[in-house]
Amino acid sequence: MSIHDHLHSLYIHIPFCTSKCIYCDFNSITIKSDIVDEYLLAIESEFQSINKEYFFKTVYIGGGTPTVLNETQLSKLLDIVSKYIDKSKLKEYTIEANPGTLNDERIFILKNSLVNRVSIGIQSFNNNYLKLLERIHTANEAKDTFFNLRENGFKNINIDLIYGYPGQTLNEWKMDLMESSRLDPEHVSAYCLSYEQGTPLTKMIDSGIFRRLEEEEELKLYEYTKDFLCNKGYLHYEISNFAKPGKKCKHNIVYWNNEEYIGIGAGAFSFVDGKRYCNIKNVSEYISTAQSKKNLICFSETLSQKKRASEILIMSLRMTSGISKIEFFKRSGLDLLGLFGKQINDLAKAGLINFDDERIKLTRKGMSVADSVMMEFV
Amino acid sequence: MNINQIRNFCIIAHIDHGKSTLADRLLEKVNAVSPRKFRDQVLDNMDLERERGITIKASAVALDYRKNGETYSLNLIDTPGHVDFSYEVSRSLGACEGVLLLVDASQGIEAQTITNVYMAIEKNLEIIPVLSKIDLKTARPKEVGEEIVSILGMDSAEIIEVSAKTGLGIDDIFDGIIAKIPPPKGDVNAPLRALIFDSVYDDYRGVIVYIRIFDGSIKVGDNIFMMKINRSFEVVELGLFKPEMTPVDTLGAGSVGYCIANIKSIHDVHIGDTVTLTKRRSTVALPGYNRPLPMVFCGLYPTDNTDFMPLRAAIERLWINDSSFSYEPETSQALGFGFRCGFLGLLHMEIVQERLERESNVGLVQTAPTVTYEILTHDGKIIHVDNPEKLPSVGTIKEFREPVVEAKIILPSEYIGAIMKLTDERRATYKSTEYLSEKRAILTYDIPLGEIIFDFYDKLKSLTRGYGTLDYEFVGYVPEDLVKLDILVAGKKVDALSCIVHRKKAEAKGRKLVQNLKKDIARHMFEIPIQAAIGGRVIARETIRQMAKNVTAKCYGGDVTRKRKLLEKQKEGKKRMKNVGNVEIPQSAFLSVLSTDV
Ligand SMILES: Nc1nc2c(ncn2[C@@H]2O[C@H](COP(=O)(O)OP(=O)(O)O)[C@@H](O)[C@H]2O)c(=O)[nH]1
Ligand code: SF4
Ligand SMILES: [Mg+2]
Repeated sequence: MSIHDHLHSLYIHIPFCTSKCIYCDFNSITIKSDIVDEYLLAIESEFQSINKEYFFKTVYIGGGTPTVLNETQLSKLLDIVSKYIDKSKLKEYTIEANPGTLNDERIFILKNSLVNRVSIGIQSFNNNYLKLLERIHTANEAKDTFFNLRENGFKNINIDLIYGYPGQTLNEWKMDLMESSRLDPEHVSAYCLSYEQGTPLTKMIDSGIFRRLEEEEELKLYEYTKDFLCNKGYLHYEISNFAKPGKKCKHNIVYWNNEEYIGIGAGAFSFVDGKRYCNIKNVSEYISTAQSKKNLICFSETLSQKKRASEILIMSLRMTSGISKIEFFKRSGLDLLGLFGKQINDLAKAGLINFDDERIKLTRKGMSVADSVMMEFV
Repeated sequence: MNINQIRNFCIIAHIDHGKSTLADRLLEKVNAVSPRKFRDQVLDNMDLERERGITIKASAVALDYRKNGETYSLNLIDTPGHVDFSYEVSRSLGACEGVLLLVDASQGIEAQTITNVYMAIEKNLEIIPVLSKIDLKTARPKEVGEEIVSILGMDSAEIIEVSAKTGLGIDDIFDGIIAKIPPPKGDVNAPLRALIFDSVYDDYRGVIVYIRIFDGSIKVGDNIFMMKINRSFEVVELGLFKPEMTPVDTLGAGSVGYCIANIKSIHDVHIGDTVTLTKRRSTVALPGYNRPLPMVFCGLYPTDNTDFMPLRAAIERLWINDSSFSYEPETSQALGFGFRCGFLGLLHMEIVQERLERESNVGLVQTAPTVTYEILTHDGKIIHVDNPEKLPSVGTIKEFREPVVEAKIILPSEYIGAIMKLTDERRATYKSTEYLSEKRAILTYDIPLGEIIFDFYDKLKSLTRGYGTLDYEFVGYVPEDLVKLDILVAGKKVDALSCIVHRKKAEAKGRKLVQNLKKDIARHMFEIPIQAAIGGRVIARETIRQMAKNVTAKCYGGDVTRKRKLLEKQKEGKKRMKNVGNVEIPQSAFLSVLSTDV
């Protein structure tokens, strides 16, 4: 085993936002300052309750919007986390930020911490769509945030983009992509808008206020995204993720490789010793449980070997490099063809996967219908 | 028990007029159920009945009622009110000497009230008219009382006013039952004659038969003889419904109870059969029942083809408890081995299907319902067709006949115009209008059954703000210009989707059907044409485009579990669909014929 196998990843969840976007089904609530203080204490006590020493190669603070915390709170958060980081082992430390929340003072705080990667939730450069989604910022604010980070020396920045809004045309999306390439970030996550159950957006679609784009239209936007970004020197390495050489997100690759990680905070998932856990999702419940030093876990599952194997395959197929037969065996203990020979054969015939006897991956066509492909492996 | 102290009666009424609630009050009055176990509509003990708030099965219960130092044994049977379950009512009536006829004091007489009254009159039963829900602010006891007098020809002095909510009038009901309903006439000393009016199958005890003793008596250990089936069984338990099954040693003439006799095969019981004693036989059978003719037919297929035998077992077992549906094996190219089943109506079909699924754990696919057609061939033969696929070739058909019913619609007269329009669309022939009162009328029409059975009732309800009610009776087969409409999915005819329609409506129906199917069937990895055709000529076409994009954009740490579960669930869902030529067709598609409003 290499030294990396002893290294873990760490995720910290900050479930607060200025206000809720209409498509959002993440675990986040509208921020109230006093609850944040309590939340930070709760996180601290969750950290303290970890009874094993871990060395982290990647850290990711996500949300919600971690940067809605006020300056004092943000410093406090970074302080707490820093106690659990061994700088010599750390490869990547990302924090998510939303335009409109990242002022000079906060950037200064980040700059003076171990954080070395910022992921900005830009979503769109089109103010109409930003408004439609009830994002709190404008396109110009997003650009300002980006350039401020650059000027302060951040050399690894991701921008999140969303496409496929009701009514969006290819041309509009092209303009968004063009704007992003002008910023020249190291990493782009371009997500097709998804309609999650229970969100206001989905309700509007169901009640006919908006019409979803047709699958064909979404596909056109997706295909264009891949061509455009690859032309601009990005590698398409996961269904929705693009990186300049050497800048793939190490933290997220941990998930797709089904490696282990620790999650801290409300609703955070952990995956350790082959077991998956989830913390209490409700923020105040999480806080009060942490205060009374009770068990924070509300769900856990140990996967059978077969289910684990199926997850390993499904997750690694999200990456354009797929997975090799050998790697699959190493991680799952099972033989890929013994398990899924027939499915692989059928899907290859249908032109949805590529299998050269050594490595399995999705074809371009397979990638756009990845869920249907993956269903064959559950 | 002295036979003169026994009273057997049913509660009959239009649906929702308060039968089950009144039964609750009667039970409560005699403390038949301990307060701890009491729940509303206590006799509706099937899960399905409680979920839907309707009575599906008639339930019998024996009440001990004391009055002036005398103890009476009252056998009450609560019955369903929906037209689809009228066979339950008619069987129950056969076990009684009288009925409580409930009429909702605010709704007044409705279609099913009249049907039920006729059934009771035909059986020569004593009828006690009861105005129910008298506590309601909207109650109109005087007007409704007049309807009872003028339409049903009853004496206004006989009407009892009750509220099952406040308890008002409950004592009058008991007095009425004792005073007016005659005790059973049977002869305790004659050879045993008992009517099997219902039965259930129990895994451990075999078939339990529900009997009404007309003559003689029966005791545990007796050897009984079933006249129709021609077989003997030894009685191991007898009992009364209180309402739980409560064992007794003997049952004498006039009483209603159950009998367990080690009957292991469901084929050894015939509803309506007469039970007598093997050693002291009666030779005169009781009248029994005429099983009603099923009106709607559909195919029922196990989703998983290997479940055919379990499905057969489940159907046979359910049939013991509801012999008003019919079944026979059939095969479909699309669906494999299954059964063609006949029902008294759509609700009946729905209930049977749901009971089968619940009571057997077999997933079912149901094909488009159809009525029975009659074919006169050129060589003079008459064929009945309850499956569009069984239609003889067009060339041999001289006359294509459809079933027609006489429908009676009771409604407030202000809605007559709207209903005339609806009946017109449904190819109905107007017969007459009678007035119940100034404001309420009975319209009579002849309507093709196929036009009325699917969604007519819902339409009627919505056009009359819920006040219109409907009942119908089969009149006969009438020649019409009918055609068979076929559906092709991915170029293959799906026999289970074929239907018979009037030629004038064929094109509109075909268009609507393919549109519905397009919505019901999900996109596949390939393009799927859907066509409607008459005799090989395509009259409508839609195309389900090939799946273009189906991919979850985001999947990180916590999403993994969710994602896997979602995929597992979708895969489960796919298993429940029928695979026809590589196209997965969900159950909803087979029923889309129902929702095409043409
Ligand atoms: N106000 C009032 N409501 C009643 C009375 N009897 C029954 N109901 C209500 O009428 C509805 C139908 O009653 P139910 O007994 O199920 O009728 P069934 O279909 O004839 O058995 C239920 O919601 C009852 O609660 C009554 O005397 N007064
Ligand atoms: S900023 Fe992100 S987490 Fe917050 S509401 Fe909007 S989409 Fe949800
Ligand atoms: Mg009832």
